[in-house]
This record gives sequence, C-alpha cells and structure tokens, in this order.
Amino acid sequence: MAAKQRDAATTYSPRIIARTRPPIFKDSDLDWTRPDGRGFHQCRPALLQTGAVSSASGSAYAEFGNTKVIVSVFGPRESKKATSYSDVGRLNCNVSYTTFASPTLGSQGTDHKEYASMLHKALEGVIMMETFPKTTVDVFALVLESGGSDLPVVISCAGLALADAGIMMYDLITAVSVSCIGKRLMIDPVTEEEGCEDGSFMMTCMPSRSEITQLTITGEWTTPNINEAMQLCMDASSKLGDIMRDCLKQAASASDE
Amino acid sequence: MVGVSVGEQNFIKGGIAQDLRTDGRKRLTYRDIYLETGVIPQANGSARVRIGGTDVIASVKAEIGRPSSLQPDKGKVAVFIDCSPTAEPTFGGRGGEELSSELALALQVCLLGGKSGAGAGINLSSLLIKEGRVCWDLYIDGLVISSDGNLLDALGAAIKAALTNTAIPKVQVSAEVADDEQPEIDISDEEYQQFDTSSVPVIVTLTKVGNHYIVDATAEEESQMSSAVSISVNRAGHICGLTKRGGSGLDPSVILDMISVAKHVSETLMNNLDSKISAAEACEDES
Repeated sequence: MAAKQRDAATTYSPRIIARTRPPIFKDSDLDWTRPDGRGFHQCRPALLQTGAVSSASGSAYAEFGNTKVIVSVFGPRESKKATSYSDVGRLNCNVSYTTFASPTLGSQGTDHKEYASMLHKALEGVIMMETFPKTTVDVFALVLESGGSDLPVVISCAGLALADAGIMMYDLITAVSVSCIGKRLMIDPVTEEEGCEDGSFMMTCMPSRSEITQLTITGEWTTPNINEAMQLCMDASSKLGDIMRDCLKQAASASDE
Repeated sequence: MVGVSVGEQNFIKGGIAQDLRTDGRKRLTYRDIYLETGVIPQANGSARVRIGGTDVIASVKAEIGRPSSLQPDKGKVAVFIDCSPTAEPTFGGRGGEELSSELALALQVCLLGGKSGAGAGINLSSLLIKEGRVCWDLYIDGLVISSDGNLLDALGAAIKAALTNTAIPKVQVSAEVADDEQPEIDISDEEYQQFDTSSVPVIVTLTKVGNHYIVDATAEEESQMSSAVSISVNRAGHICGLTKRGGSGLDPSVILDMISVAKHVSETLMNNLDSKISAAEACEDES
C-alpha cells in the first residue's frame, strides 16, 4: 500500500466520485479546460521538503505547481510580548509575500494580516498548546511565488514545518481549496481560476482523524455542491497527508544514516 | 471575559443538553431583536440592533471613488468594525483590535460573496458610475457598543438594515470627455436611489457547547463553546459564506447538519428581520 502510494507520489488528487445521476446540463457551455490542462478533480504536483532553513527549529518548503512557499518555525521560546502568565503556549503566525511573488505591483501588504489570522485559526486546533506553557511558537510563512491556492499551501507547509520542529500535534494538518465556477467544482485552483470564481471553499483538516479544524466558504453555494466539495477535500487531504508523512519519514531516515 | 464558576458552567451545559437554556430559551430560539434605522444623520444609512445585552450600530457612508484597475466595472465596498471600550474594558487601546479584525474578516466572507460577485449581498456593478473612471465607494462601519455574545449575527443584521436605510444621491455624468480625463460629475441633492437589499444574506451563528449547538449564544454560553460556525444564507436558501471559530475540530457530517439547521433557522430570522426593518423604516419616515 505504502509502496503504491510512493509510485504515485507527489500528487494528491482525490478519486473521482462516481455520479449516480446524469448531469442535468450538457457540458457544451462548459467546454473549456483549465489553464494548466489539468482535469477538474486533479491537483497540481506537490513537492514537499523539510529542513529548508537551517537556523529555524523546523522548516519546510512546498511547491504546488507555481505556488512556492517556505515556512519556518521558531520555538518554543520566550514570549516577545511581555504578557501575563499563561499555562498554555502561544502561537504567533505571520504570512508575508516577496515583492516578486505576484505580477501585479502594489499588491503587497493588503490581505496578509487576514492570511496570518486564518493560518493561526487553522493551526491552533491542532497544536497541543499545553505542552509548552509560558512560551511562544512563531510560525513565519513566506510566499516566494504566488500561483493560486496560496493559503492552503501555506497551511499545509506550516503543518509540515511544525512536525519538523517537533512541536506536539494531534495530527498532521492539511488544507485544500476548491473553486466553483458555474456548475463546475475544481480542486486546487490557480490564480486565473481564483480571479473569476463564483465561490471558494477552503477546508483545513486533520487527515487521519478526518476532523475539520477550519472551513471558509465564500460566494454562492448550494448544499449538494458543499457536500461534493467537502468529499473532494477530505479525499485530497488524506492523500496529501500521506505525502507529507512520507516526506517526514524520508527526512528522518536520511538523518539516521 | 466573563468569569463563570464551575457550578454555573455545569448549569449552562446541562441546560443546553436538556433544551432549556439559562434564560428560558430553547436551543434554536433567538432573543428578542430590537431594530432602529436612521440613527446617524451624518451617514448615508445607519441602523442600530439590540439583541439582549448585545448592542451594535452599523453605518454606511458612500463616497465618490475610482474603480480599481483590476475590476474597472465594479464599485468598492469595505467593512470595518470597531469594538468600543465601553463594551468591555479589555477593548481599550489595541485590545479590541484582534476581535475587530476577526469580525470584519468574517463579515467580508459572509456578505461580499465570491470574486465574480456571485452570492454577494451588494451588487458591486450597481455602484459603478462610469466604467474605469468613477464609482461609489461604500464604507460599512460597525460599532460594538455593548457585547453579550452573538456579535456577528447582530452586526450582520445591523448592516442589512443599514443598507436598506441607505440612500445614495443620483449622479449625472457630464457629456463625453476624452478617455484619459476624469469626467465631470454632478451629484444631485434631491434625487436619491436606494439599494435592492433583498439579496443581502443573514448570518446565523451556531455555537457548539457539549454535543449540541445553539443559536444566539450569550457571552456566558460563548465562554463554554468548543467551536462556532457562522453561516450566511440568502433568501434563495443558498449558502453565501461560512467561517468557523474556536479551536476544536468538527466532523464533516456535523458541519453538514449545522448547515441544514442554519438554513432552516435563517428563514424565520430573515422574515423577522425584514418585518422589523420595514417597520423601523416606516417609523422613521413618519417622524
């Protein structure tokens, strides 16, 4: 099973859900392909590496198609902000973009505070905060190149970096997003698709517990669509979790040798 | 932060498990909603919503602006929330900032819809005056005066009422000018236009306490929550946005169940709000 997984490595596309009833609309008006020629339920190839930054307690580099992200984790260490005593640890997240991350100028400094707070919300449920009282874990994410689905890649990469840093977690954390354009659901959208989507669906979950830690939906969605998107994300998440686990195992066995 | 003793905690949790909450409500009953529109004369539209001890004001201001180069055929809407220290001493200084930005982000997710504008409460194209040159910028400001739980639903309702109350002056664009020049505009002081707010969704927050979830949680009940899911539903029964708060994870089936409950609850809430808003509007017209 594990060997089979490795053969198919570096992609985490969910299995196609067999439709029980024929589509109501013929696909003639939706007769287009995705900008990078993928299938609607096909994810971009994922490259994951740990130990990207030597000075950090743990770090990871993720490359999902054109989206390239580096995340480093520092700590647990003394809290910078002199705040009151706390018997659970604190988590501090920061997401920044390089100036050359996206083609448009002046797009920096807009939505990264909200990315940071979303990253924080996604991670706080997974980390065992009580294992590092009085101290802070800092998670710094840097988007080197923005190619769509930036936040899910940042979250997944942060999960890997936290595991690399040896921070206690209930499970690995994976995030997958789905875009809805017209009647179509497409997983792992690229920037062009995100620009014209009718709705976006981002789910963060713990793959082996199949528990959703964070969910954000925007745009107009019907319940069957949400159902289908959730299934797609759960399936993709569990596969992405396997890839991440393999990546961590490889790093561990390499350091043993 | 509310201090709740262990005894009270058990009382709250036990009550919720038995479908009889501390204030006598059932799990899916709202507190009485008090709504007033036109409370701020300086704004183009405003409303105040009180749900129990929660008291919020929303105002809508419109300003002539320029469409962004990425979306030349749309106006702009920005949502800001301010948590006043009168509500809670911890909101003073920078203390309320985190909550304010979280609420503003959640409201943006719930009200502004997808990138293409599907599911948006406000049709951004209706804010356009001249493509690529002039448009209306809407500034939606929410102020939390007093906080007793369920801030997001209250703010959502207040914004819906404020938008209904909003009147934007009619604008005449003067005859054709060269493409690269800013056209001259004439803002009418007599003629106003109103928004179609029938598509503005309502926000229903389901707070999970123990194994059950409740609507319209008070601050005490919120202190016992494991997680909360805010779902915005429009009149057509479509989900326009969803955000989750709180650390603990949820099973996918629980979330789907919450969505169907929220859809059910939103219908009554939407009708209730609409009648309250039209009553408030009629009351304001009289005075």
